[in-house]
Amino acid sequence: MVAPGALRVVRCGGSALRGARAVFSADSKYLLYVSGDFVKVYSVNTEETLRLMGGHADLVTGIQLNPHNHMQLYSCSLDGTIKLWDFMDGIPIKTFTVGTKLLALYTLASAEDSVFAVIPKKGERDTFQLVSVTLTKGAGQDLEGKELSVVLDGVGASMKHIAFGREVCSPSGFFFLLCSVGCTTKTKGGDNRFSCVVCHPKEDCIATGHADGKIRLWRNFHDKKEYTYSTLHWHHDIVMDLAFSIEGTRLLSGGVESVLVQWHNESSCQKDFLPRLGSPIEYISMSSDGDLCCTLHTDNRISIINSNLRFSRSIQGLIKSRDVKTGLVVDPRTKALVLNGEPGHLQFYSLQSDQQLFSLDIVQRQYIHQAGLKQSDLVKVAFSAQGTWLATVEESEEVTDPELQLKLWFYNEEIQSFELNTRINTPHDNHITDMCFRDMDELGDDSLILVTTGRDCVFKVWVMVEDTDPEGIILYWEICDFVGSYHNYQATNCCFSEDGSLLAVSFEETVTVWDSLTWDLKCTFCHPPGNIRNICFGRLTCSKYIIGATDYGFLCCWNLLTCALEWSAQLNVVVLQPDPLSEYIAAISWLSKESSLFVFKPNEPLPVYIQRNLCKDKILLAAFVPRDEPEITSSEKYPWLRKSQLFFLTDTQICETKILLTFFFKLAVEESLPVTPFSLLLGKHRHQQAQEDTDLGKLVVHNKQKQASPAVKELLHTPAHVLPSASFLCTIFINSLLISKEKKSAEEVADEVEMESEKAEDDSDEEDITAMEQEDTSHMELLGEMTCKLSKSQEKELRKIRKMDYSWISAL
Amino acid sequence: MGEFEVHRVRFFGLVPAGVRCLACHPRGSRLALARTDGAVEVYNFAANYFQEKVIPGHELRTVESLCWAAGDRLFGAGLSGDITEYDLSGLSAARGVDGGGGPIWSMVANSTGTQLAIGCEDGSVKIFQVVPGGIQFERNLDRRKGRVLCLSWHPSDTHIVAGSIDFFRVIDVTSGQTVQRIMVNHHVEKAKRECVVWAISLLSSGTVVSADSFGRVQFWDWEQGTLAESHTVSTSAALSLAVSEKEDSIIVGTSTGATYQLQLLPVTLGGQEKRWVRTKPFQFHSHDVRAVAHSPTALISGGLDAQLVIRPLMEKIQKKSYDAALRKFTFPHRRLVSCARKARLLLFQFSQYLELWRLGSTEETGKDGEVLPLCQMPEHLVQLKSKGPEHIYCSCVSPCGTWVGYSTASRFHLYRVHCDGDGVSLRKVPKVPKLLPPAYQLQFSADSDSLFVASARGSVHVFQLLEPGGCKHLHTLRPPSGVEGRCLPFLPRGSAQGGCVAEVSAVVPSVHCPLLQHHCTVPTYNCAVSALAIHPSTNNLVIAYSDQQLLEFSIPEKQYTSWSRAVQSRGLHRAWLERDSPITHITFNPKNPSHILLHDTYLLCVLDKSLPLPDDSTLLMNQSTLKQLPETARKRQLHAFKICKKFQPLLFMDLLDENCLVVVERPIMDFKTQLPLPVQQKKFGT
Repeated sequence: MVAPGALRVVRCGGSALRGARAVFSADSKYLLYVSGDFVKVYSVNTEETLRLMGGHADLVTGIQLNPHNHMQLYSCSLDGTIKLWDFMDGIPIKTFTVGTKLLALYTLASAEDSVFAVIPKKGERDTFQLVSVTLTKGAGQDLEGKELSVVLDGVGASMKHIAFGREVCSPSGFFFLLCSVGCTTKTKGGDNRFSCVVCHPKEDCIATGHADGKIRLWRNFHDKKEYTYSTLHWHHDIVMDLAFSIEGTRLLSGGVESVLVQWHNESSCQKDFLPRLGSPIEYISMSSDGDLCCTLHTDNRISIINSNLRFSRSIQGLIKSRDVKTGLVVDPRTKALVLNGEPGHLQFYSLQSDQQLFSLDIVQRQYIHQAGLKQSDLVKVAFSAQGTWLATVEESEEVTDPELQLKLWFYNEEIQSFELNTRINTPHDNHITDMCFRDMDELGDDSLILVTTGRDCVFKVWVMVEDTDPEGIILYWEICDFVGSYHNYQATNCCFSEDGSLLAVSFEETVTVWDSLTWDLKCTFCHPPGNIRNICFGRLTCSKYIIGATDYGFLCCWNLLTCALEWSAQLNVVVLQPDPLSEYIAAISWLSKESSLFVFKPNEPLPVYIQRNLCKDKILLAAFVPRDEPEITSSEKYPWLRKSQLFFLTDTQICETKILLTFFFKLAVEESLPVTPFSLLLGKHRHQQAQEDTDLGKLVVHNKQKQASPAVKELLHTPAHVLPSASFLCTIFINSLLISKEKKSAEEVADEVEMESEKAEDDSDEEDITAMEQEDTSHMELLGEMTCKLSKSQEKELRKIRKMDYSWISAL
Repeated sequence: MGEFEVHRVRFFGLVPAGVRCLACHPRGSRLALARTDGAVEVYNFAANYFQEKVIPGHELRTVESLCWAAGDRLFGAGLSGDITEYDLSGLSAARGVDGGGGPIWSMVANSTGTQLAIGCEDGSVKIFQVVPGGIQFERNLDRRKGRVLCLSWHPSDTHIVAGSIDFFRVIDVTSGQTVQRIMVNHHVEKAKRECVVWAISLLSSGTVVSADSFGRVQFWDWEQGTLAESHTVSTSAALSLAVSEKEDSIIVGTSTGATYQLQLLPVTLGGQEKRWVRTKPFQFHSHDVRAVAHSPTALISGGLDAQLVIRPLMEKIQKKSYDAALRKFTFPHRRLVSCARKARLLLFQFSQYLELWRLGSTEETGKDGEVLPLCQMPEHLVQLKSKGPEHIYCSCVSPCGTWVGYSTASRFHLYRVHCDGDGVSLRKVPKVPKLLPPAYQLQFSADSDSLFVASARGSVHVFQLLEPGGCKHLHTLRPPSGVEGRCLPFLPRGSAQGGCVAEVSAVVPSVHCPLLQHHCTVPTYNCAVSALAIHPSTNNLVIAYSDQQLLEFSIPEKQYTSWSRAVQSRGLHRAWLERDSPITHITFNPKNPSHILLHDTYLLCVLDKSLPLPDDSTLLMNQSTLKQLPETARKRQLHAFKICKKFQPLLFMDLLDENCLVVVERPIMDFKTQLPLPVQQKKFGT
């Protein structure tokens, strides 16, 4: 279990649904698929995600049903563990630690206590081997799985490059068909590299997919010379995956054409197609009764398809656009994240369900898949405060003369969707750099204005006008008389103050502040050298401040009342994101190959929270998403997470984007705990800790565990029938109630060297930051070690507990 | 290599006839092929797939089916209703025997080769006994309505299966009764279309394999009358079918030009159950594959696009050698063009007519590789249609361009060409002495005053040509006794003294000297001769064999020359030996006695005897690399074989004078456009 209490980064969604082939449960009622670090259980009938099985610390790379118990599932991950799950209850049964990265997983019915996995070969780069992992039998949950025996050397890393076929049981043991394909080099005849391999379930036949779009069916392959093959050719490009039906009479293939092809009886003349699946097919899997099959697509979608090749339903995850130009915007109406989706589309993505809510076609043009073709794409998005208006900017990819269009969309309550209201061609002469709405509830509709800044050195103000028409009043947008510019510098950013009275526009090095009623230039700020990268106004109590980040590595806070620099800190800020519901601002820096998070209030030069090494990848975008209900439990320690959650979008080396969520380990079960002796006990314990916190709590950020220990939590979560005996649980339970001993770690100094590089401007700042850092690390240490010491009051409690009757536990 | 002014001739509009049927010799050494124009060819597998024998066609004699019987006897049957035996030594069709059942669609020999079964238009199946000197009608089997398109004997000769339209039937040979009749389109919904059983085969296990016009290959159990397996190999018709001797592999030809292999494979490793599986598809042809054959090591297919394709089965070949290469033959392995050097005329031989062309000329000169503009366009002088239904065996034009001769199966014709200004007139030479037909080769002497006619049994007739248009039979050269009857004469070109004629058979080459008597015999070589020539000044005989060997034989000394011995001891370059097509013509450069010019379908070679021979480590085709080298390095890299592959496919090459060359090309694309349109097929990306 992960120690709760500390703030940690969790991949919460948007991760690739195509890490591995999906698996149907034996009764085909559930579909199990990989989503980043998690395995999800999806009910085929109700179209709901039933369970989220988390526990792996890295991407899950393979899932397979346990051939001996169809209610269990093996999963393997890059973190080097194989887990056995009860997927009906969503609980891990066993964890086998292998120790090396696991890239693919295979199971075999005849192999009683071992599974097969692909691991990288030690000491050699880019070579992989297939090993058989012996799963030791033991009582505990965490077991070692280090007994590896190499089956095959030099296999491909992809799970599609190995297939297990027919098994033959004979008195002398069992044999199985194992095929592995390598990536041979291009021959002159054509690109016939292998892309995937599958085995016929009943016969000695292997089907391979090739890069030139051919499928070859190999037979007689045990003979070195007289092997033979037949070719099926329909795909024009690489065959991404193949799947045989249960009897082997049908073969499914898919590729970049987004067409699922069904071949009958290995004949090239009899084939059926399911076209228009939307995006290239990456994996195909078949249910064991042959009724359903599912395809995993490159745009993070899972399609479930009936046996008669009728499209049934789909699960759409986050679409990974090549370049998220729009940034991460929160739709105020649905609280969904809004970003680039399919080319020319805007996707509304729900983080709660990790699914796409809907996709809005903005460009409204046919997208033609062709390399080198200049496409129009969506580059900027802005919502008005209530989400009634949506402004989008699209531009063609041409650098010199971009074809710009500004579109304004009105949310139509009747059709529950956005409708195009106004289309403005060439709003600016050059690229639009930023755009924001002013939308004040108090001021009514008149207040609604839109500001766009462009590289043509001006910012323009757009207003809504009414026009009477035979059909009624028509609202549309047109340009206001005012066009602002400053010394012919390129306008880069803009933002309105909270009350809408002030507009800040950054022109390269300078931040200009304008009165939004009279459009007078009020004042200017700058912090040379370096252009302004981000600006934002403070909110609530800090609304007199304006924050700017320069690309020269400074974060500056100016006071609007005094027109002076309040404070500045040297920080290479890539993302500056204010929380819309509180005065906190999150700044994410990128330095020496790690991203760090700083949360601060503009009125205090000291950050309220620092998280170093948030993740190894560069964080591209971040967004605060308002919570439905303010979080109470975390509010004391992390007030900035009270009303909103912070989400990041990172860009990993393999060009995958993930959304990461910092979230608090909360215990939902606690609140609804029935009144039992146990809950009373827990309540007391909690109360006690809260008291302690107030005693201790000065400037320290509390990250002591707020809720019960993992053991208790697990006790509550785990169904009774899989719990160990009560006597076994007792000691863990007792231990969990003990208070851990505060202990300073010796390693805390280590980080100081790194701190130097990010030295703040004045010394006092620096000290505080270091202090915070130390706190942080010490807590981490503490949680790891769990050294316990009993306080007197707890000893009393313990004695009481001992006298109590625990027979109720066994009754559970 | 030397620089030549090249006449690049592309106006030879040869369209080879499509392949109609194939018959593999039971012992697998020879392949008989019949074309749609009735010509029959025999290929020798042992001699590098050389086209050994050609029997030109006949207008009235189409060949629908060929089979080998009683050892090496070849029989053909066609829509004329006759069964014809071919005289392979005399290269002629012997008299036919009327089948008595209307047009014959198919003919098969039984496993021992003693009986022939024919399937006729009227639905009858007749059995003929093969007797020495001919065939004899034996009996009729059960006659049913519907033409019999294909037949197959059971390997034990007890049953015959006959395929017709919509059904096939199994006939008991001893009783002559139909024991089973199976409708092939019984299960098909669209049964309104008739289903033609184009090919059928009866396996020893009692399985009947049928290929039909719905593109299906079906396996039937004839005793039960049930369908065991059905493979739809093509959307268009499956036209032909051949089973390997072991009955574990089948090749099917379809009308889209694709051929498919079906193999009998075990379903599981070590299991008893076996199933026919469609395995490899091959797309070598653009048109209907009307004939397929299955030799033990290769799949052979012939299509209406005139191609014969031999695709070796890699798994059956023990070691990777030259035999493992795919071969395609489109053009004949013999010369169809002759050239009048002095008059600059070209004579093209078609199956039923000759064309005489005058070459164009230019006055400009240019650098290497430049195309020179013509000041006088090539001119089609005359077309000479052959009389009668017989096709032309051979033709020749004299070096001065005043005589044209050609021969058909029964007659030899000689014409005198009169050029008067623009017009050209031909006048037939009267009273040409009757020869024992047919003439296989014609050759005029260099000074155009005599004509040599190679005829049957290795004899050569010498005619004296008389002005203004007559001829006289001078002499007949006969090979020494012992080789008689086995010879297929070749006449060399370029003899200097006008009387020196060499005649070489596949087995024993012999040379006649100027005194018109037997001079010497070239030692035996066990391969067919593909071309030979006598050097005009040195009187050396250069012989090219079908296995790509080159020999030079000195006629005055009656022995191989030292150069030839050197070649034999060192061996020729591997790349040279592994070429596909045989040398079809040899000529010499009068200016440079050490130069020999030779060509096959794909390359033109100037062999310089004064230069060192290449060994296997050097590049054989090194002309392009030599061009880039500096002068000194080039000298070191030079070797005897100077090869040019610029002209393809090359049908003829000759030297007009010492620096003027004529090449005749027939680009494949030109010839493809002359063919009828193939079956329309959707092609991706169009």
